[in-house]
Amino acid sequence: MTTQKEKVIPEKYIPDVGSYIETIDGKDYLITNDAMYTFYRRTKGEFSSFFLGLRDEKKLLGCRCTKCGLVRVPPMLTHCPDCNFAPTELIEVEQVGIMNSTPPITYFATSLFQHMAPYGRGRVIFNGADTAMSVILYTTTGILVPGIINKGTEVKLVFRDNRIGEMTDVFCVPTTELSKEQIEKKGLQESEINWESPVEPELPQANDPDVAVYEKALEEMKSIIEEMNTNDRARKDIAGWKRDIQVKTKGGQFAIIIDDGDIKLEEKTLSSPDFVMVCEDPRTLLDGLAYRGAITDSVISKKLWISKNMEFNTIFKLDRMARSVARSKKA
Amino acid sequence: MSKRVGIIGAGVTPFKGTWREKTYYELAQMATRDAVKDAGIAIQDVDGAFYGIYNDIFERTAIPEHAIHGLLGMQNKFGIRITNGGATGAYTMSAAHAYIAARRFRTALVLGVEKATDCFDFSSMSATPEVIKSIGWSGDSFFEQPIGWSASDSYAEVVLAYMDENPGDLKPEVTAKISSLLSEQVRNNKYAQRQFDQVTPEEVINSRLVVYPFKELEICVYTEGAAALIFAEEETAKAISKNTGNPVVWITGVGEANEHSFAGKNQKDMSRIMSDYYASHRAYDMAGIADPTKSIDIVELHDAFVHQLEISMAEFGLVPLGKADSLIEDGLMIPGGKYVVNPCGGLIYCGHAVGASNIMSAWSARNELIRRNLKTALVHGTGSTVAQYTACMVLEHE
Ligand SMILES: [Zn+2]
Repeated sequence: MTTQKEKVIPEKYIPDVGSYIETIDGKDYLITNDAMYTFYRRTKGEFSSFFLGLRDEKKLLGCRCTKCGLVRVPPMLTHCPDCNFAPTELIEVEQVGIMNSTPPITYFATSLFQHMAPYGRGRVIFNGADTAMSVILYTTTGILVPGIINKGTEVKLVFRDNRIGEMTDVFCVPTTELSKEQIEKKGLQESEINWESPVEPELPQANDPDVAVYEKALEEMKSIIEEMNTNDRARKDIAGWKRDIQVKTKGGQFAIIIDDGDIKLEEKTLSSPDFVMVCEDPRTLLDGLAYRGAITDSVISKKLWISKNMEFNTIFKLDRMARSVARSKKA
Repeated sequence: MSKRVGIIGAGVTPFKGTWREKTYYELAQMATRDAVKDAGIAIQDVDGAFYGIYNDIFERTAIPEHAIHGLLGMQNKFGIRITNGGATGAYTMSAAHAYIAARRFRTALVLGVEKATDCFDFSSMSATPEVIKSIGWSGDSFFEQPIGWSASDSYAEVVLAYMDENPGDLKPEVTAKISSLLSEQVRNNKYAQRQFDQVTPEEVINSRLVVYPFKELEICVYTEGAAALIFAEEETAKAISKNTGNPVVWITGVGEANEHSFAGKNQKDMSRIMSDYYASHRAYDMAGIADPTKSIDIVELHDAFVHQLEISMAEFGLVPLGKADSLIEDGLMIPGGKYVVNPCGGLIYCGHAVGASNIMSAWSARNELIRRNLKTALVHGTGSTVAQYTACMVLEHE
């Protein structure tokens, strides 16, 4: 679960030098690959003790105002603005706390955090603190879905095995998913937790009606995908994108091939798909492609399983294509 | 007593998902040309310029307004750029108002302009992840950026905290209806990005989760475009109005507030948008409005998210906190209801060209006051990391 990268800017984000032309209403417009970048050797300044505490001592520090006693975690300031700038002092607080409010869950992440999605980020008031600290939230049980972590949920601070002195060195999980010893342990590390690993769901044996449902759904999906393939707006949604997807359902399996604007459905088994989709009922995927509900939501509700969370990206594109076709019909 | 300030001209460019045909230099000039034309004056008659440009990264220039000034013919005059997160446009109008009210200028250009989708993510081969990444640079850089802070997840934090305190409000069927309603209202806005993207409540409910609890069709879209207004002090405004035949829409109230960035005791109460509360009530005070439910006819608010639209309406005192769903359930914002809310389609359907958005909202409020012959409108901009910046204006049409 490491979020460390070897380079400050990973290779995959960096485009080649180049330009191209986009033609609109018969006129050419020049578009150039570009970047605005600045590198830093940036100080953590007065926050250095806090970050070194996380990295080297697995300690969580806050600051207490010497006048009003308010404990701020993280230690945001050396002097309290509420007390005419009375000095604050560093103190250590507990590594268990409660959620200040129900946290959001990000499914569609910025380009920097797609590898982490879906992820929760929320604010925790650690025991001994008065203010809330923003943390990443995980569940040990797989994909984080609404309802697992709410306002008031007790959570435990967990340290990554490899720490670099950043907020990514820590995250929280609900204490209900940990043992008493784990909850009490100071400096609990990620490798000390049992993480449920994603396994491809096994499909039950299909009977004749299942095969009939599959064949009917397959025909409909074929025609929808053919329609997508001829729809300009939908083709734009997968411009520059390339994915071979194996789709497995109870009644049978097939492949969806996405290749830079082209999309097709083929009844075959791929030798090395980019990822696998498993949905017991093929109509789950059919409904998504037909714009009768989002495929994204089927993944979240566990009606459809994907072998790589990163491929939420491709799922979004399929959802978008369904909407593009629907929009074109309205226009 | 400060001088009265009025809006005497306005113009917007079409709001589009991407403007391959124009740079922000040209977009700025397009809106300005329309605004001075609407006011029946020459750019040489404008004393100072106020630029609302949110994000240097979108414009790919660190002082993006410098080039615009001369290209608009404003060289050797006052020029200032305002940048205040999502509330940039509203704060730009607030600043221009203050300078004119203080008698520094007779007239001013208020110009918001923004690019966005020049940003491009080469890893997913699409613009949006890079657009939201560049907004992500706005989060606190020591504690929050590195763990995935984003504009959507931070507004979602506030919405979820409101829902923690007010269970039963912001029901999914109500947010879906509001989005659908806004998509109908946008039909009349020929400058809108999504003029013909009408959606049913069912489509909204079926649209994919982007950041829990927000669905794709409940979120504003990224937009490129510009919006411009001409402000003038009282005598000048009246003279211009006489000349053009367009009534002056007066800015009778202005209010602003920025909250704490971090949550907890003595800091931000995540379940409220207190900046919306303070800014709107300060604007009411200045305008002499004792009961906004009796005075406000039109609201043009910054609807980054439908849920936030509902909370903002409650913070404005137009519906009770905890009963924001009355906007639909009691018919307050449905056609013929008590309030006209975002007749332009709002930022969700007209589009969100950040620095220009609130100025577009004022453009719409002014047009609607005149067109519908109504008296009072509230214009609003919100922004920054936990829905913490707000500026509001009360507009009156005599
Ligand atoms: Zn103090």
